[in-house]
Amino acid sequence: MLMKPNYSSENVIETDGLTRIFLTYKKGEGLWNSIRGFWNREYLRKVALQPTTLKIQGGQIIGLVGANGAGKTTLLKLLSGLIHPSGGDARVLGYRPWERKPEFLRKISILLGQKNQLWWDIPPADSYDLLARIYDLDEAEARRRVNELAELLQCRELLHVQLRRLSLGERMKMEIIGSLLHRPSVLFLDEPTIGLDIVAQTNIREFLSEYVKRERPTIILTSHYMDDISLLADRLLLISKGAIVYDGTVPDFMNSVEQMQRLTATLAQPPSEARELAPGLILDPGTEVFTAELPASQIAPTLQKLMALSPLKDLKIEEADFEDVIRKFLEKESRLRASGGPIAT
Amino acid sequence: MTIWSAIITSTGQESFGGFPRDSYITYALWAAFFGRVGANWMYEFRMIEEIESGSINSILVRPISFYEYYLSQFMGYKLATTLFSFAVPIVATLFIDSPTIHSRLPLAVAVQILYLILVHTMSFTVATLSFFLTRVHGFTVAKNIALTLLTGELFPLDLVPEPFRSWILWLPFSNSVFVPVGYLTGRLGIEDVARGILSILIGLAFFGAIAAASWRAGCRRYSGTGA
Repeated sequence: MLMKPNYSSENVIETDGLTRIFLTYKKGEGLWNSIRGFWNREYLRKVALQPTTLKIQGGQIIGLVGANGAGKTTLLKLLSGLIHPSGGDARVLGYRPWERKPEFLRKISILLGQKNQLWWDIPPADSYDLLARIYDLDEAEARRRVNELAELLQCRELLHVQLRRLSLGERMKMEIIGSLLHRPSVLFLDEPTIGLDIVAQTNIREFLSEYVKRERPTIILTSHYMDDISLLADRLLLISKGAIVYDGTVPDFMNSVEQMQRLTATLAQPPSEARELAPGLILDPGTEVFTAELPASQIAPTLQKLMALSPLKDLKIEEADFEDVIRKFLEKESRLRASGGPIAT
Repeated sequence: MTIWSAIITSTGQESFGGFPRDSYITYALWAAFFGRVGANWMYEFRMIEEIESGSINSILVRPISFYEYYLSQFMGYKLATTLFSFAVPIVATLFIDSPTIHSRLPLAVAVQILYLILVHTMSFTVATLSFFLTRVHGFTVAKNIALTLLTGELFPLDLVPEPFRSWILWLPFSNSVFVPVGYLTGRLGIEDVARGILSILIGLAFFGAIAAASWRAGCRRYSGTGA
């Protein structure tokens, strides 16, 4: 009798206290310490992912954002079955990912932006033929699919060029085709635009946007480029030191944090002595161009004080962008976690 | 071949260990080819490299087994090289006075093909050590040196004194060179081939169990390499 997977039909991904701790062997210097390491090992323990409980519904695009080493890739690797957890449980499409059942692997795909997954020495078209066999796809259907995706990515002419002769951006397009060939229901994209120039980033972003509209897969996307996240993600997960510190939509996130604005004022008469414009905000003597990032509510009072000191030659007030807001939020979270202070959720 | 010729000449007799000079020269000729075909350092290094560098990720997330993926590459490569490389000794033994029994070639090759699966399984086992240790290439080198002695590539194993001879023959490694070449050159009979096949099957079960356990433990420990 076939066992029916036990998971909520609404939630494509569910985790319950999912944790991963990495133990790294601390190797001593020199020959004697290397030999001693065989029986007297010292390990470094790093909590890459703190107990994490998540529910992700089908068809959502999740933007997973965090600093380097925050645990983004570890979460993706756990959910795609690449690594085993140290604790907790997870179900993706009803399967435990790390059991790596073939029927599960046929339904997911992971694209690691910093690693090639196609075969380096052969043209992508040959790699796709091989992938079609690995995934038991109909040969003609697979070819149609490759052509269709290559058309969307505007790279048909590159299909028969050896992978290692392609540029980084071209290779990424080929990797994307390879990862979508078998129409995965769940797609893990780890830094798909990393290292690409602005044009290539935009092309890939537009392609992904078009693709999700057409095929509605569930996507977990990590990126250091906040444009990827703000333009594509339905839901934002912020991760800091292995813990999810925000879970909500991008607009809700922007509304939840106090908006910062960047004030740049050029003074006609630089002050001769230091002045306090706001608590902790000092205008140094001789400052001609004054720049500060302030909460929106403090812009007007600060400006009033500046104008009382000197006429202004120039004035610029800029909205802090999504990237700035995220950066500041994560920096604050990181400081709070380091000091053991209260954590925003 | 030259060394064997010199050894037998130095004894002042026409035979050595119960077999004539021609038998040794033919053995040396075939052993060189069977020995090469039975080696697997190249794919072993590749498997180690995949695990060490993390490029194994692209296989782990696809519905394909790492063992089978490399077995198919290894066997495909060996099939091609065997076809070409065996042409040389076949032609040579047709034209020189050699005790080769050509009708035995299919069974001799079949034994070695079965042995190649064992070779791959051993290589896979060594490669899985990369999950636990920083560098494992030394194991490959040590294993290959041991195999050079135990396969009979350097000398026919029937020259080894008892009881070591019997022990070595019950190990599956002699099926790389000594058993197929011995059978092909008339030193061994069909019963030795049957024993060889049985020892390969036992070896497959033994190394297969170690490889499976090591793979499972390694996957649990694997960090996916990098952030």
